[in-house]
Amino acid sequence: MSAVRCIDLCKTYRQGDQDIKALDHVSLEIAAKGFVCLSAPSGGGKTTLLNAIGGLDIPDSGEVWVAGQRIDQLSKGALASLRLQQIGFVFQAYNLIPVLSARENVEFVMQVQGVSKDGRREKSTAILKEVGLAGLEDRRPAEMSGGQQQRVAVARAIVSKPALVLADEPTANLDSKTSDELMELFVELNEHHGTTFVIATHDRRVMGYAKRLIKMLDGRIVDDINQRAA
Amino acid sequence: MNYAGIIITLAWRNLWRNHRRTLIMVAAISVGAWAMIFMTSLMRGMVNDMLRDGIRVLPGHVQVHHAAYRDDPSVNNLLAMTAGEVSAAMTAAGIERFTARVRVPAIISSERESRGITFVGVDPRQEALLDAIGSAIVEGEALSGPDDKGVIIGQKLADKLDTRVGKRVVVMSQDPDNEVADRGFRVVGLYAANLAVQEETYAFAGREIVQAMLRIGDGVSEVAVSGDDYRDVSQLLAQVSALMDEQDEVLPWQELDAYLGTMLGVMDGFVLIWVIVIFLALSFGLVNTLVMAVFERVREIGLMLALGMRPSSILAQIIVESILLLVIGLSVGNALAFASIVPLQDGIDISIVAEGMEMFGASSVLYPELQMNDVVLANIVVLLLGFLASLSPAWRASRYEPVEAITKV
Amino acid sequence: MNITLRLAWRNLWRQPRRTWLTIGAMVFSNALLVFMISLQFGMYDLMIDNTLQAFTGHIQVQAPGYKDDLKMRQVVPAVNALASDIRRETGLDRVAVRSAAFALVSSEDRSYGVQVFGADPQHEAQVSSLPGLVRDGRFPTDANAQEIVIGAVLARNLRVSVGDELTLLGSGRDGSFAAAVATISGIFDSGIADLDRNIAEVPLGFFNDVFYMEDAGHAIVVVTPNLDDVEAYRSRIESLLPVGSNLVVHDWNALQPGLKQAIQADLSSAFFMYGVLVVLVAFSVMNTQLMSVLERTHEFGIVMSLGLTPGRLGRLVLLETVLMGLAGMLLGALVGGAITLWFSYNGFSYPGMDQLAANFNLPSRFYPQATLLTLFAGPAVVFIGSICSATYPALRLHWLHPVEAMRAV
Repeated sequence: MSAVRCIDLCKTYRQGDQDIKALDHVSLEIAAKGFVCLSAPSGGGKTTLLNAIGGLDIPDSGEVWVAGQRIDQLSKGALASLRLQQIGFVFQAYNLIPVLSARENVEFVMQVQGVSKDGRREKSTAILKEVGLAGLEDRRPAEMSGGQQQRVAVARAIVSKPALVLADEPTANLDSKTSDELMELFVELNEHHGTTFVIATHDRRVMGYAKRLIKMLDGRIVDDINQRAA
Repeated sequence: MNYAGIIITLAWRNLWRNHRRTLIMVAAISVGAWAMIFMTSLMRGMVNDMLRDGIRVLPGHVQVHHAAYRDDPSVNNLLAMTAGEVSAAMTAAGIERFTARVRVPAIISSERESRGITFVGVDPRQEALLDAIGSAIVEGEALSGPDDKGVIIGQKLADKLDTRVGKRVVVMSQDPDNEVADRGFRVVGLYAANLAVQEETYAFAGREIVQAMLRIGDGVSEVAVSGDDYRDVSQLLAQVSALMDEQDEVLPWQELDAYLGTMLGVMDGFVLIWVIVIFLALSFGLVNTLVMAVFERVREIGLMLALGMRPSSILAQIIVESILLLVIGLSVGNALAFASIVPLQDGIDISIVAEGMEMFGASSVLYPELQMNDVVLANIVVLLLGFLASLSPAWRASRYEPVEAITKV
Repeated sequence: MNITLRLAWRNLWRQPRRTWLTIGAMVFSNALLVFMISLQFGMYDLMIDNTLQAFTGHIQVQAPGYKDDLKMRQVVPAVNALASDIRRETGLDRVAVRSAAFALVSSEDRSYGVQVFGADPQHEAQVSSLPGLVRDGRFPTDANAQEIVIGAVLARNLRVSVGDELTLLGSGRDGSFAAAVATISGIFDSGIADLDRNIAEVPLGFFNDVFYMEDAGHAIVVVTPNLDDVEAYRSRIESLLPVGSNLVVHDWNALQPGLKQAIQADLSSAFFMYGVLVVLVAFSVMNTQLMSVLERTHEFGIVMSLGLTPGRLGRLVLLETVLMGLAGMLLGALVGGAITLWFSYNGFSYPGMDQLAANFNLPSRFYPQATLLTLFAGPAVVFIGSICSATYPALRLHWLHPVEAMRAV
C-alpha cells in the first residue's frame, strides 16, 4: 500500500483577474517509508500539492488517497481527525504556539488526541531528547533559536508516530549548518521510524537528502528522479 | 478532561500576551462592575430606608380598614370589630405584634396657632411592639397607656404651634353625627422622625381617651399587624384576612402606600436596566479586544486547525478567554464595591439636599445596602451577556480556513 | 486636505471593524446621554413650572419666619398698598396678595382640617393655576363674597358639591376663635393629590373678616415673565419694601427648597451614572489607540528614523482619536436626537412612573425635547474623555526607540 496516491489533481486559484493553475492534472504515488522532495520555484504548485495531501486544501478535481483512504471528499471534522492521527506537519515558520513551552507544543497534539498526562510527559521527554533539545523543554518559542524552534516542530510532528510527515520549506528561515542538522534529523527519523517524509522546498541542499526528487513547474510534474538509484 | 485543560491554558496565557490591553479591559470591567454594585446599593439603601420610614410612621406590614376608609378617612368609617374583639381574635391566633388605632383628621390648636393633623388614638404598649415613630420620644415622656390623657406631637409641630411639653392644646374633630368633638390635652412628650412631614402630621393620644372624645365606644379605624420581613407578607396577609370581618379591607403595605410599593418595583427594574446599560457600554470594548486578539492570532489559529484541533475547540478557547477576562474584571469590581461600601455603612450625610430627598420620601442620611441578589444579578448578567457578545468573534475565529490562516502575514 | 489629517483618516480605516466598534461605544453612550439629559432637563423644567405655577409663584414677600412656621401673626402689614407699589414700580401685573389659616372645614356629615387661603379674586388667577382648574362652578369674583373653592378630593370626602354650605372653624390672627359659613362656589381638580385633598380658597376680603386680618396679609405672590429674571425682580422688590420694615423677599428656591434639592439629588446620581459611562468609553478608546500604536511600532520606527519626532506621531494618534470622537459625537447626537424626537411625539413612560411622577407634580407620560444643549453636552464630555484617554498611547511614543521599533514585527 502506498502512503500517498494522487490521481489527476487540478486546482485553480484566482489572483486578481488571472486564473492560476496551481495543480494541473497531477498524478503521483509515494510509497511507504519514502523520503520525497517536491521542488519547484515559487508558485510552482508544491505547497498546494502538499496541502492537498494533508487535507488542508481540497482540489477542484481528482482524488487524494492517504494510507489507503480517500480523503478529498471527507468532512472538515474527519479531515481534522485524519491530520491529528495520521499526519505530522512542519511549516516554514510560525510553527509553534507562542504561549506554550517547547514541551507543551510537543504535547499539544497528544493533548488534543486525549493522551493521558503521564503518557504525554514520557513521550515528549523522549522525543525532545531525540531531536536534541533535552534541557530546553520549558523554553517558550521566543526564547529559542530558529533551528531549535524547527526541531520542536519536528518533534511535535512525529511524536504521535504518524505514518506521514509533510514539511513545507522547513529550512527556509535557517542557516546552512542548521539546515543540514535538521535534514539529518529527518533522514534519521525516516530510517529509524519508517516515517514517510514529503518535503516541499526550493533549497538544493535539502533536495540532496531526498531518496526521490519530484520537480514541478506551473502546476505540473516535470521530472521525477529516484536519487538512490542514480 | 485533558482537552479542557489545554483550552484553558491557551486562553489564560493568550490573555496575558498583551497585558496592557488586558489590564485596560480589566480596569474597564472593574469600574463597570463597581458602578453597578455601588450605585445599586445606594439606591437600594435609599428605597429600603424609605420603605422602613414609610412603614414606621404608622407601622404594620398588613393593615385593616373599613372599605371606604382609605379614600375617606373619617370617624364614620370604623372597622366592624371593636378594639376588644380585635385583641381577643389576635391573641387567640397567637399574633403578638398588632395594634388597633383610632385615626382621624383633626385640627390641633395652641393658644396661638392651628394646624391640620392626623390624630391617632393608640395603645402605646401595642405600638411599641411595632416600633412606631411616636415611640422615639426626645423630650418629655411617652404615653403610659390607652387611658393616658396627654398628647404626643412631633418637634416640628411643637415649633409651629409655639407650644412645648407641659402646655395645653385643643384637638378638634367630629363625632359620627358630625358634631364637633373637641378636647383639651396636655402635651406630655415630643417625638422626632426622619422626615419633617411626619413630625408635622401625626399627633398621638391614648386610644380610650380619643374614643371617648369622638363618642365611638370601643370602635377603631385601623388594625396594623407586623411580621418578620416586610418584603414577604403574603402569609401574614392570609392569616389576618381570616381573622377579620369580611367587609373590611385587609391590605399589605405595598398597596396601602402605592408610591412606596411602586418604588420597590421600579427599583428592581432600574437595577436590571442599569446593569445592562453598563454592560452594553463595556461590550464594545470587550468585542473589540476579542476581535483584535483573534486578528493577531490568525496564523496560530490556522496552525492549530492544521494540526487537527477542531473548530469548536477554537471557539471554546476564545470564549474561555473572554470569560476569564470578565471573571477577573468582575472579581476586582466586586472587591472594589465591597471595599467602598463597607466604610459607608454608617451612612452618607446628604443633608444639604434634605428637603429634596424628602420629596422623594427619603431621609437625609443614605445607608448603602448591599443585597446579595443584586450582586449575583449583576455578575450573572455580565457573564451571560459577555458570553453572548464573545460568540461572534469566537465564531469567526473558528471558521478560518487553516491554509489561508497560516499563509496570512 | 492636510497630509497629517489624510494620514490619520486612512489609518482609522485600516481596521474598520475596530474603528466602528470604538465609534459604536461612543454612539451608544452619546445616544443614551442625549436622550437621558433631554428627558431629565425637560422633567426638571416641568417639575419646577408645575410646582410653582400651582401655587407658589416665583417670588413672595413675607414676614420673616413665615415661610417655615406659617404662623398667623407673621404678617405683611398694609399688604394691599405694598402689592400696588410692586405692580406700579416693577411693571409686573402678575402680583397677588394671599393669606392662609388652618381650619376645620365641616359639611353636614364630615369634618376635615384643611389649609384655607384667602385669595384676591382679581389677581389670584395670574399667579396660580388653581382658579383656572375649577372644574365645577367658578372661582369667586367678589372679594367679600362668603364663598369657598375646594379641591376635588376634599369635596368627595366632605360629600358636598357646588352650592352646598361649609362651616369653617379655626383661630384668628390674634389667637381668638374664628368661625364662618361659606357657600361652595367651585371645585378645582389640579391632579396634585396634596392640593386636591388639603386646600380651600376663599375671597381675600371674606378671609380678612373671618380671621381678623385687618389690612395685613401673609404673602405677596409674584410671577416673573421668566425664571431667569427672578433674581433681578427679587432685588428690585426688596428695594421697594417700606423703610424700617423687616419683611423678606423669597425666591422660589427659598420657598420650595425641596424642589431644587430634589433636582440636585437626582442630578448627582445621574451624573454619577453618566460619569461611569464616559469612563467606560474612555477605556474603550484607550484600548483601541494603544492597540493601534503597538501594531504600528515597526512603521513608527521607520518614520522616526526618517526624522519624524515622537511629538508629531503623538499628534497623529490624537488626531485619529479626534476624528473618531467627532464621528461618535455627531452620530451619537443624531441617534440620540432621533430617539428623543420619537419620544417627543409618542411620549415616554415606564411602569410605575405615574405613581412616582405624581410625587413631583409631573404627568405620567412625558414628552422630552432635545435642545442644542441636551444634544451636545453629553457627547462633548465623551469627546473630551476620549481625547484624554488617548494621551497615554500617544505619550508612549516618546519612549519608542527607532531601531528597536523597526525590529518589532
